[in-house]
Amino acid sequence: MSANERTLSVEQPLATAWNQTRVGAFLSQPISWVFLIVGGIIAFLSLYPTIFLFYGSLVNAPLGVPGHFTLQNYVKAYGDSEAYPLLLNSFIFGLGASGLSVVFALALAWITIRTNAPFRRLFELTAIIPNILPPILVAISWVMLLNPSNGLINGLFVKFFGMEKGPFNIYSIPGLIFVEALILTPLAFLIIAAALKSMDPSLEESAKTLGSGELGVMSRITFPLMRPAILAAATLNFVRAVESFDTPAIIALPARIEVFTTKIWREALGSFPTNHNLAAAYGVGILLVALLFVYLYRRFTSQVENFSTVTGKGFRPHQIDLGGWKYLASAVAFLLLVLLVVLPILVLLLVAILPYYHVPTWETWKHLTLDHFRYIWVTPRVHKAFGNSMLLALLGATICMVLASLASYITVRTKIAGRGLIEGLIFIPWAFPGTALALGLLWAYIDFPIPVYATIWIILIAYVTRFLPYGMRAVSSTIIQVHRELEEASVACGAGFMATFRRVLIPMMRPGVMAGWIILVTIFMREFSATLFLYSPGSEPLGPLMYFLYLDGMRGRVAAIGLVISVISVILIAFAQRYSRWETK
Amino acid sequence: MRESIKVLAAFLIVLLSLVTPSYSQNAKLVEAAKKEGKVAAYGSLESDNADAVFQVFKKKTGIEVDYWRASATKVMDRALTEYRAGKPLFDIIITNDSPMQIMWKEGILTKYDSPSAKDFTKDSIDPNLGPRYRNVIIGVAYNKSIISPAEAPKSLEDLVKPQYRGKLVMPDPTQHTTTTQWVASLEKLMGKEKAEKYIRDLAAQKPVLVESLLPAAERVTTGETPIAITYVKYVYMFGQKGAPLDYVRLGKMLGDGHYVTLGNKAPHPNAGKALIDFFLSQESMSIMAKTGEFVNRKGIYPPLPGADKIQFVEMYDLDTKQYAEKKKEYQQIFLR
Repeated sequence: MSANERTLSVEQPLATAWNQTRVGAFLSQPISWVFLIVGGIIAFLSLYPTIFLFYGSLVNAPLGVPGHFTLQNYVKAYGDSEAYPLLLNSFIFGLGASGLSVVFALALAWITIRTNAPFRRLFELTAIIPNILPPILVAISWVMLLNPSNGLINGLFVKFFGMEKGPFNIYSIPGLIFVEALILTPLAFLIIAAALKSMDPSLEESAKTLGSGELGVMSRITFPLMRPAILAAATLNFVRAVESFDTPAIIALPARIEVFTTKIWREALGSFPTNHNLAAAYGVGILLVALLFVYLYRRFTSQVENFSTVTGKGFRPHQIDLGGWKYLASAVAFLLLVLLVVLPILVLLLVAILPYYHVPTWETWKHLTLDHFRYIWVTPRVHKAFGNSMLLALLGATICMVLASLASYITVRTKIAGRGLIEGLIFIPWAFPGTALALGLLWAYIDFPIPVYATIWIILIAYVTRFLPYGMRAVSSTIIQVHRELEEASVACGAGFMATFRRVLIPMMRPGVMAGWIILVTIFMREFSATLFLYSPGSEPLGPLMYFLYLDGMRGRVAAIGLVISVISVILIAFAQRYSRWETK
Repeated sequence: MRESIKVLAAFLIVLLSLVTPSYSQNAKLVEAAKKEGKVAAYGSLESDNADAVFQVFKKKTGIEVDYWRASATKVMDRALTEYRAGKPLFDIIITNDSPMQIMWKEGILTKYDSPSAKDFTKDSIDPNLGPRYRNVIIGVAYNKSIISPAEAPKSLEDLVKPQYRGKLVMPDPTQHTTTTQWVASLEKLMGKEKAEKYIRDLAAQKPVLVESLLPAAERVTTGETPIAITYVKYVYMFGQKGAPLDYVRLGKMLGDGHYVTLGNKAPHPNAGKALIDFFLSQESMSIMAKTGEFVNRKGIYPPLPGADKIQFVEMYDLDTKQYAEKKKEYQQIFLR
């Protein structure tokens, strides 16, 4: 079909009387239909369980039981003066962990993507591994390394430097921030790396031509251009840190540091029986804070054109020659990866071959065992869980990224009224504490007309609902950088919305889409907090299986499964990264 | 010849019925259960220990057990939510006293008089929930490669002596429900007045506080903290794998009773009943004891030295309000 024919086919319907109304004009645009369909799906996914939770926060009885309207849950949650110092602790913890994770991620992403540092491809591949490991295992690994009594690293200092006691104490605010930052770094890395891959270095080159040194280029050009991605990563990680319970439970509790989630746990989720109404009231508070951050994020990124760095001029990012400094860059990346990957994986490997969990001594080497790996090999339940998790990870991540790409396009690129609503909607379920949301999902889908409860599909719905924001952030930080002129050129050549989206935007967004897909696959392979309430024995994925083994004191088996998941995920990531590179287009 | 074949066949049938005594009396029930095909159990009994019993049950009856394992609170949450939504998918619940009592009051469970209950002592049978099949006992464990048995504490009172300051780990009683219950029940062992002082002295020792009883035991196996207030069964469980653990012979020890009950709207009621019958049988109790559980059957003990000398004292059954009050009270004492 020629461009003229296309124009005609668009103009003809415009002539009808129906289309002369405002609604008609709106509906005549293909993008409007996309908006309605995507918006409808997202609104349903996020509002349906959320309404149950909001309702729960305003009544005095659990769902399914007749109750009365009350504000008592809010009075109890926020009328307690003890809560506010804890909020400050949470804020310091969230800010510290998120800031440090972004610094680590930025350094690692810049070195691996934009420089000619040796081994950069290997570093890039391994940087995502910590995202695969259950956070609780990472925290436990660091306790084993840095606890003041018999932490392995502290032990080395005592042995080789003749110190009286080791210099590190994991049970402190810096310890807590450090470990959480390491847990959060892969997510920040993926978002920032995706944006760096899409960035045209011509501005950097111009600055260099005008006499700027490498440091000047970095501080004045590269990092300001990276601002949307950095802010996206920082926003996501801040909220993730503030709502995390695993690391505080393992590190803050023995250190007697209280954060807000500790309080939520004590008063609501960990109380007996669980006070879901109070948990929902706390959830609403966290939701408001999260929405405030989304608003701030949108303000930061509102001047979209300022960040457009991928233009239609045919540039591709290329490596910066660091000269002799490239070895130093590799050393920095290597050091970060030792902290992020090597040490925790070594500890996990050790736990996987120890007969029971302990700090190894010379005696230990005689008792090493492969029993935990044998358990994986011979147990049909584990095989089935692997199958279920693979299905959920691949299908769930793909559905999420399709939705996230369309939603990002609508929110970032179009002027459709109500586009901001989509972003707000996506963030709602994410802002609730995991267990509270899982309960909302259970309440929402247990009596759903389509019988999804107790099937694997309810888990899929839960994953898409809860983790869509991760995909959304990864794509939108890339889409912001794609200049409009490419789309405009496509439209000028007569392509419709779907053709432009498929032929121009998707290839341009590919690094972001693949980064998001990788994040989601790695999370879905091990997710348990939402899954736990929703799976039934026939549809058990790996997350709950690992959780039960952990609950039963089988750390060796958990570590062994964690390592096997890591290997599978690395293979998936390697394929995804190969596909996401510009060069392979 | 034909006569002798008939006699032989009759003899074989009699012999077969004798070989499976626990099911001969419930043959009809087992037949009905087989028609239902499977049984769904929600419980807080450790997966490996539960599987050990379920596998034998499957071998005997051909009935598959779908087991959903979670913490007691989560088991209760899920069962209540399913029931209230009118879609209970569980046939039986296997968990401890407090959540069982709540679920009973909510009407989601039903009474089933299992023939296997006759082998339990009368005082261990709850009028609604049936026999208390196991006791989960909390004691004091220590790492004997760090603390020799001679230096180890000998009583709960010893734990508050200066030499053990900084060497003790316990779950946070302001967060961990079973530990709240344990601290509140100490007066059952030492009397109200003494217990009140003891709790303050214990808090003054500044024990390391962790999330639950398992991380407490694990800190002892790793040697990070040498003494823990934790489940005694972990001494056996980790000891089996080579951990240098022992426990203080306290004589009387507090613990929680666990039950197995039938759902009021069980989708597979006959299979549920058949599983309960087997679960409470002598054979099942022996299997569970071998995994380290303190089953409530005379003469059957876990293979842990001194297990037969332990006197079990059931902890108080606190209600929601009491839990909240106690957690608040312990916050003032333990987190100052």
